[in-house]
Amino acid sequence: MSYLKIENMEIAFNSLKGKFVAVKDINLEVEKGQIISIIGHSGCGKSTIMNAIGGMVFPSKGKVVLNGKEIKGPGPDRGIVFQNYSLLPWLTVYQNIFQAVDAALRNKNKSEKHELSEKYLKMVNLWEHREKYPKQISGGMKQRVAIARAFAIDPEVLLLDEPFGALDALTKASLHIELLKLWNLTHRSKTIVMVTHDIEEAVFLSDRIVVMNNGPAATIREIEEVHLPRPRNKKDTVNLPEYKIIRERLLNLLIEKVALDESEFYKEERAA
Amino acid sequence: MKRAITLTMTLTRDWMKGTTPSSSQGLHTTIKRIISIFTGLSYNLIGIVLLLGIWHVVSLVTDGELPGPIATSSVFWELISNPVYDYGPNDKGIALQLYSSLSRVFTGFILGSIIAIPIGLLMGANSFCRKIFYPIVQILKPVSPLAWFPIGLVAFQSASDATIFIIVITSLWPTLINTAFGVASIPDDHKNVAKAFGFSKWKYLTKVLLPYSLPHIITGLRLSIGVAWLVIVAGEMLSGGMGIGFFVWDSWNALSLEKVISAILIIGLVGLLLDRVFSYLEKKVTYSI
Ligand SMILES: Nc1ncnc2c1ncn2[C@@H]1O[C@H](COP(=O)(O)OP(=O)(O)OP(=O)(O)O)[C@@H](O)[C@H]1O
Ligand SMILES: [Mg+2]
Repeated sequence: MSYLKIENMEIAFNSLKGKFVAVKDINLEVEKGQIISIIGHSGCGKSTIMNAIGGMVFPSKGKVVLNGKEIKGPGPDRGIVFQNYSLLPWLTVYQNIFQAVDAALRNKNKSEKHELSEKYLKMVNLWEHREKYPKQISGGMKQRVAIARAFAIDPEVLLLDEPFGALDALTKASLHIELLKLWNLTHRSKTIVMVTHDIEEAVFLSDRIVVMNNGPAATIREIEEVHLPRPRNKKDTVNLPEYKIIRERLLNLLIEKVALDESEFYKEERAA
Repeated sequence: MKRAITLTMTLTRDWMKGTTPSSSQGLHTTIKRIISIFTGLSYNLIGIVLLLGIWHVVSLVTDGELPGPIATSSVFWELISNPVYDYGPNDKGIALQLYSSLSRVFTGFILGSIIAIPIGLLMGANSFCRKIFYPIVQILKPVSPLAWFPIGLVAFQSASDATIFIIVITSLWPTLINTAFGVASIPDDHKNVAKAFGFSKWKYLTKVLLPYSLPHIITGLRLSIGVAWLVIVAGEMLSGGMGIGFFVWDSWNALSLEKVISAILIIGLVGLLLDRVFSYLEKKVTYSI
């Protein structure tokens, strides 16, 4: 019995035109301590799957089982980094973390909560910026606050929805390392499910990569195993032959459609 | 809504200017700010001079039927140089009249807000409440304040209380609607944070709902106090006795248009002042995005 299990899941939304099926026939099993990436074109339902694991959206068919229990709602065993950071703009960086810790960990006392907030802010190097408001910090810093917030409640599962989406390559690379460091610091016991658009990021970070078909009613196209040795570092890992092979495979899976569009485009050009 | 956002942005900009400058930059920004204040004032001055000019011309054209600025200014000066005299029930200084009006306005406004804010919060947060209250709001909101007056008289048996009643019932709508709108428009992102981290009801109220909707509420209050100030003059014309509205009516009966115009100016200035106070509050509570 695996740790996190998605069984025959379909998620539908009620729209004006009736039922809209975002994803269907989703089957996925994740072992404890694994890092999984979900990759696919925009709108294929990646965030929807994350929200189902997070307990914010409910499957219209099938179920999500975590640790032997069907997921019925959000809970402090899962920490979420939302696609758009979702910091509360009227709270300082520190308060954004503290309030989340305060709400999620009810059996801790105030000073313990303060210590936790401090610890994780220091972990992402933002302790000096704790009195700033979200609009006063950069995108990468916001992202780190969101990551610290998710880690601070010490969840067993981390759900990261395009956590590095809006970042430049340099910041992204250093945050990849930070993420792996945080994962190592907790003895690789945390299960991480991550959504990304970035093939290299997926290969570099994950144990397995879930490639989605395009929506609507998107399904899983393929699941790639990544057997690159850990600990990984950018310089060596990207030069391994296996890294390149997996990257090529994913590129082919995802770019196919673009190539097709291109040939259509040239056809039209010629016709004109 | 759009305006509120613009306000926020200006505020943010000003504020960031205020916090970041090093010492030489600080001096520079201070000078810049002084210059901008003076240009602002000079625009105001031009506007006022233009208004006085038009007024003067109209007065000339009507052969002094409408008293001009100069004739009015002496009466105006007389009014404000002795503002607190009290020669019996029908002859009191302008400050006493204003005080009476303002205390009624604030009583009505505060009572109205006490009703409007909780109902607005309910309407915004709960679709059941929204559906129940919405038709009531739609029907009662467009009713003229004067139409309420007889109801107030019957209910309270006192003209003064009836005036307060019409202020309550006409000034609560902007606050109610803005509050409901503010709460209803809380983005899903913020709600999801509260859900994901298991915020209690209380934490949701104090850390998400109120901070998000407070700027909307204050905007509503600002509109409401404006309405209240509009309504008081009409109300006091009906109720008589005391207040700036009564003063206008009394001056008209005494055939002193100079006094009427002076009172109009004073009403306008007090209205402006009230608006400034609330727009200051609005800026204070508007968090910046
Ligand atoms: N609350 C909702 N109500 C109705 N439709 C929704 C809702 N949430 C998502 N959808 C629809 O489900 C589909 C998948 O959306 P989702 O946000 O999961 O995509 P995504 O893969 O995360 O895209 P992106 O990469 O752009 O973030 C889209 O067609 C979207 O319009
Ligand atoms: Mg998404």
